[in-house]
Amino acid sequence: MSDSLLSNSLWFIPMAFVAAPAVAADYLSIPQAQQLLFPSASSFIERPTLFDSGARSAIKSHAGTRQRQDHQPIWRVEKDGQLQGWFMVDDVIGKHEYITYAAAITADGEVMGIEVLSYRETHGAEVRDESWRANFKGKSLKDPFKLDEDVPNISGATLSCRNLLDGVKRLLTIHELFLARES
Amino acid sequence: MNKKRLGLCALGLCAATLSQHSIAGEDLFGYLKGAEALPEGASELYQKVTVRDGKSVGSYQGIDFETEYEYGVSNKFSSSVSAKFMSLDTDGLSIDGYLPGAKDIGFKASGVELGMAYMFLSPAKDDLGLQASLSLDYDWIDKHSGYDKDTLSLELGLQTQKYFMEGELVWLGNMGVETTYADRAPIDNLPEDFDWPTDPEMEIELKFGTGLSYRFAPNWFVSAEVLYETEFETEVGQERWSWFAGPSLHYGSANWWATLTWLPQLAGGGEQFDGQDTDLHLIEKTEQEWRFKIAYNF
Repeated sequence: MSDSLLSNSLWFIPMAFVAAPAVAADYLSIPQAQQLLFPSASSFIERPTLFDSGARSAIKSHAGTRQRQDHQPIWRVEKDGQLQGWFMVDDVIGKHEYITYAAAITADGEVMGIEVLSYRETHGAEVRDESWRANFKGKSLKDPFKLDEDVPNISGATLSCRNLLDGVKRLLTIHELFLARES
Repeated sequence: MNKKRLGLCALGLCAATLSQHSIAGEDLFGYLKGAEALPEGASELYQKVTVRDGKSVGSYQGIDFETEYEYGVSNKFSSSVSAKFMSLDTDGLSIDGYLPGAKDIGFKASGVELGMAYMFLSPAKDDLGLQASLSLDYDWIDKHSGYDKDTLSLELGLQTQKYFMEGELVWLGNMGVETTYADRAPIDNLPEDFDWPTDPEMEIELKFGTGLSYRFAPNWFVSAEVLYETEFETEVGQERWSWFAGPSLHYGSANWWATLTWLPQLAGGGEQFDGQDTDLHLIEKTEQEWRFKIAYNF
């Protein structure tokens, strides 16, 4: 490399600015999401699940999407000792950062609703809109889980929308494989 | 460092700083283009700086500056406009027909470019993304020699993109054909017997590229790309060909992103100049390029 190129490498000083940490955009805490999805619940019993490689393979085989985490945060939700459903927190890949969301699933394996806990992407903040999230209500593994069929795509955030849709299908698969027998 | 260089560095720093506060698509690679369109109504402002360095003998360094604005006309169609500037500092190098001798250009406006792209298939929704692009480029300075040269180029490109592992791994494939009409201005006091053709010429360049990008941490991608370029010119036939390959580091956040790329020339052939001590094609290309891009979405 020539001396003059070294002197011009000062052009790359802006990388110092680039390295600055991004500002987090967390919208809901887990207790807040629990309250929104199960307003009448009396107890949330944490039963985190640890998946071994065989379990992860089974999830991928059934859901079509890999189970990246060994540890899946799951709460059994009860009201006066009666099972109301399951509350799960999950991360899916966004364009830049992980999107953290929570899903409420009935004892019968239907989506009661989802809440977005953190979303930091360039486009697609509409995933937080109630009108978009409402498209997930009532979904079960009998549905095709196709973008623009089950839920509408948000332009500029297609990867985020697809990964959220695939994520919810994966959570329903976890329910079917590991939780349904407890219902 | 002389005042001129210091001024250029300061300007680059200002542009980058401005980028952070006012000013995004997202280029994971330095040279390859993705196949994902900006959404309707979205805008993106890029600042690109490319350093072209080394021709095996003497000293040669060109810096290209491009400021580009892109707008999403619809969810599948985007248009862009670019203003181009350049600097050049070369000494101890004379290439017959191409580079008359030493040249030192501090910073000059050098061209404009209009572009458009249409996304046929979305990479996240249709599994394999497919986009076509068209750009019209007009330059009034020859980026290789720094002398006056009117160049009008039309480039048709095709981009493919596929997501793997929910988007952690991204594959791109590009191909393009560029047709160029070029007309050099005469130069006074040329060295004796130096060939400097001033008849208009036509060139056709073919470009192929592919690359993989992996998100190794939230916000951070590391990429590698390979490019092959070859050019055919009136009366010469295949004038040159080159293989380039190099890594990129990319950071992307909600509103802005930046990519730093190093792209050395690995192999080249075709026309060569007397005295060059490698087998690379170094008449119109250099031994290596560095590219830094920063952009803001709004």
